Amino acid sequence: MTRALRLATYSLTSLVGLAAFLYPFWLPEVTQNADGTLAHAHDSALMVTLLVGLCFVVLLLEVQQDAVGAKMIALLGVLVAINATLRFIETAIPGPGGFSPIFLLIVLGGYVFGGGFGFLLGALTLLVSALVTGGVGPWLPYQMFAAGWVGLTAPLCRPIAAFLDRVTTPRVSRALHHSLRTELWTLALFAAYWGLLYGAIMNLWFWPFAVGPAQMHWTPGVGAWETVQRYLVFYVVTSLAWDLARAGGNLLLVAVAGTALLRILRRFQRRFTFVYAPTIYQEGASQESASREGKAEIAWTSQ
Amino acid sequence: MDISVKGALVQNGMQAASYPPRSIHSMAWMAWIAAIVVIATLTRNPFYLGLMIAIAAFVRWRWTTQLALPQVALLSPLRFSLLVVASAALFNMAMVHTGSNVLFVLPSWIPLLGGAWTLEALVYGALNGVALVSLFLGFSVLNHATSVRSLLRLIPRAFYPAAVVTSIAVSFIPTTLQQIEQIREAQAVRGHRLRGVRSWLPLTIPLLEGGVERALQLAEAMTARGFASGAPVQKRWSQWLVLAGFVGVVVGWLLQIIWRQQEIGIALLVLGTLLVLAGLWRAGRRHPHTVYRAERWQLHDWLVVLGAGVAVVAYLLPWFERETLFYYPYPTLTWPLFDWRIGLATLGLLAPALS
Repeated sequence: MTRALRLATYSLTSLVGLAAFLYPFWLPEVTQNADGTLAHAHDSALMVTLLVGLCFVVLLLEVQQDAVGAKMIALLGVLVAINATLRFIETAIPGPGGFSPIFLLIVLGGYVFGGGFGFLLGALTLLVSALVTGGVGPWLPYQMFAAGWVGLTAPLCRPIAAFLDRVTTPRVSRALHHSLRTELWTLALFAAYWGLLYGAIMNLWFWPFAVGPAQMHWTPGVGAWETVQRYLVFYVVTSLAWDLARAGGNLLLVAVAGTALLRILRRFQRRFTFVYAPTIYQEGASQESASREGKAEIAWTSQ
Repeated sequence: MDISVKGALVQNGMQAASYPPRSIHSMAWMAWIAAIVVIATLTRNPFYLGLMIAIAAFVRWRWTTQLALPQVALLSPLRFSLLVVASAALFNMAMVHTGSNVLFVLPSWIPLLGGAWTLEALVYGALNGVALVSLFLGFSVLNHATSVRSLLRLIPRAFYPAAVVTSIAVSFIPTTLQQIEQIREAQAVRGHRLRGVRSWLPLTIPLLEGGVERALQLAEAMTARGFASGAPVQKRWSQWLVLAGFVGVVVGWLLQIIWRQQEIGIALLVLGTLLVLAGLWRAGRRHPHTVYRAERWQLHDWLVVLGAGVAVVAYLLPWFERETLFYYPYPTLTWPLFDWRIGLATLGLLAPALS
């Protein structure tokens, strides 16, 4: 039941979120009236914005179940603080333009601790850094959503890395050394890919403002394909250079710091994944005495 | 937008420490910014947009002088606005080649750029830029006038775990900054200077090591004080409710725009919204909490909400000349119309400046 809920939430929100981000391409086509005008041309932008917000709410309600227990919440809080701080001191350490260090921790955190953790790490990093630096704006929900997606999809690297490892490494040497190298390159390429995709998604937020509401830039006979062409021009002109820098920076950062950071995160995961649970005695007498005095002994059970 | 970090931190700290005497409740600010977002997405009439920008600029001026805040933005708002408007105009002119007032013609063999560059496209692009500027301006008022704590308090109770993580992160940022400074000094003593991408390694690894340690200490402290000592919740009715509501909203909207089923569509939209709200309310009931220092809701908060409400109603309901909102310069540039009643209602957004 829980798994079904999770699966339904992930697939529905991803589907609707994707369609909402891509709406400038398909909406004018489907809302065309017989006389060539568009139905709901004026309120569709507002409605799509609300839908993206709703997607985010539904997804957040599901993934925050992963932040259960004091240890996970504390770790998440501290990682978000580190990431948000790295985001605004990035000017102190010069890198290529468009480069942002936040994706390193989001990708690795999601990869090690699971998609829900990654989603929260990504979304809350952007929320916190916007709150602290006074950068709250209409772009914030989109940024949170996109960065959350980066973390949510990071666990997809696990099967990919495992598959690549099985293909490339002979069985004998696989037993001898750990598959860290394949894993690292998978993660680095994944981070680079998201560097590009993140820019494209954020552009889609800005796109309706650049061309106006659907009614205005849409002319009968101009199909989705020409809209895509225009978007591509817009993309190449305004942001391809920045996105390439971001992708390259991500690749480099994961390749350089990935191994060490993975080790730290895994050490935390191995050593501190335990729960406190009161021991229940089987013998009737001792159980009675324990419960009468109100003392439940704390035992460490490894999960 | 480059922002001096320390300035911003000091600014937020100051605001958290001492509320300005006539502060406005953060919920009232939310109503105000929602009105701005609705109007800026709806209208492309230069008169209404200009009026709204003037109002937002006045409110911003009132609030920045009242609190005597340092100006933290590197690019001045005026220069930034001009840049946005100019680039939006140029882009629209390059992309849209319709309109009767042709400025010049590029040879048509150039893909997309070729064709007639028209005055209409220029005007319309600039108007898109102006709408964007009004949004920026509204949010900059919000960033100046509200404190981080009061914004954090706005996170609904249903998102309690996320809210706890957020407030932990906000409280840990000064410590993290301190730690970065210490690491930088330690590396400097060893002869390292932080520059370029390669410097991220000696910075991030000690930072993360220290962070994990701090997380453990914090977790122990939280557990010792009884945080999350209960069993995790197994019933997920509220999530099913929210998910069903979400599906209802999406299907209702699609019914409306694709299959033109207005009545069923609207019914599904309303039903879905109600389901989502019910689910969130149910999820929030799980986490009862009290507030140590509550913000007070005062008379002028009602004024702000009322003003924002009047403005939004004038733009959304078809009582006045709503056609004037959707100014459209193609195919031939015309003078935009102005309904004075809508303009008057827009003045409701001035309410925060009066308090």
